Amino acid sequence: MTEFDSSRRIFVSYIDKSREYYLALGYDNPYRWAHYVDAPFTPLKKPLKESTLVLITTAAPYQPDKGDQGPGAAYNAAAKFYSVYSGDTAVDHDTRISHIGYDRKHTTAKDSNTWFPLPLMREFAGQGRFKLAKRFHGAPTNRSQRVSLETDAPEILARCRQDQVDAALLVPT
Amino acid sequence: MSLVARYLERNGIPTVTMGAAKDIVEWAGVPRFLFSDFPLGNSAGKPHEPDTQRFTLDLALKVLESAVGPRTTVQSPLRWTDDGDWKQDYNNLARMPPEEVAKRRAEFDKVKQVARDQRQKAGVA
Repeated sequence: MTEFDSSRRIFVSYIDKSREYYLALGYDNPYRWAHYVDAPFTPLKKPLKESTLVLITTAAPYQPDKGDQGPGAAYNAAAKFYSVYSGDTAVDHDTRISHIGYDRKHTTAKDSNTWFPLPLMREFAGQGRFKLAKRFHGAPTNRSQRVSLETDAPEILARCRQDQVDAALLVPT
Repeated sequence: MSLVARYLERNGIPTVTMGAAKDIVEWAGVPRFLFSDFPLGNSAGKPHEPDTQRFTLDLALKVLESAVGPRTTVQSPLRWTDDGDWKQDYNNLARMPPEEVAKRRAEFDKVKQVARDQRQKAGVA
C-alpha cells in the first residue's frame, strides 16, 4: 500500500457498496435512502449544563425468545422492533444490534458502550456536563421512511416533551 | 434515524447524531453530525476502550454546543487502525470465495422473508 491509496484513505460509501452488493447477489431493486437538500436547525436555548439531554438509540432490547442476538450473531431480522420503546436511564439495560447491518467482520458487538453510551452519559451527567433525561428512547429501523416520519418520529417527540427534554443525542448503528 | 433527528430539530429540540456511515447520514441531511471513521457498530467509540468512548461523547457534546448552522459535520480524529484496510471488506464480494457468496444469497432470501412476515404481523407492511 502506498500513501496514495485513496480507497483506504477516504470513508466507505455504504450507499454505493450496498447497491453493488445486492445487484451482484441478483437483486436489482436497491433501497432508496432518505435524501434532503436542506436540514433544519435549532440553537440550544440554554447552556448545555442546564439542559436536559436525551439518548435515542436504534439498538433493541434483548429478547431471549428471538434467536441469537450476539455478540457476533448473524443478521437477525426477528429481533427487530416495530414501535418506539423507552427505558429508565437510572438503571442499566441489555441492548443488542443483531437486527442491524453493522460490520460483522470487524466488529464483534461485545461492548455495548460502542452503540449505547448510557452508562457514560450517566457519568457525564454526574459531572455536571448536562442533565440526563429520565428515559431513553428506541427508534425502530424497519426500512419504511413513511412509518419513521409519520409514526415513530412524532411518538419520540411526544415522549421527549413529556420529559421536558432540551436536546437529543442520536446514536444510530 | 436521521429522519428522527430532523423531526426533533424542526420541532424545537436541538440534536447531534453520532455515526459511522458518513454518506448515509449526510445524504439524509442532519443538523449536527459527529462522524467516526469506524466500522459500523462503533458510533460511540472503540470496543473496550473507555478513553475513546469518552473522547467521542465529549466531542459530540462540543458539536452540539458549537455548530453554527445545519449540516455541520465534524470528523473525529480517532482511527480504527493505522492502515484502514478494513474499509475494503464491507460487502465486498471480490474478497469472498464463491461458496460464501452462494451462502449469503441464500441467507438474504431467508432474512427478507422473516422481515416481510414481521412487518405484516406488526401491520406496517
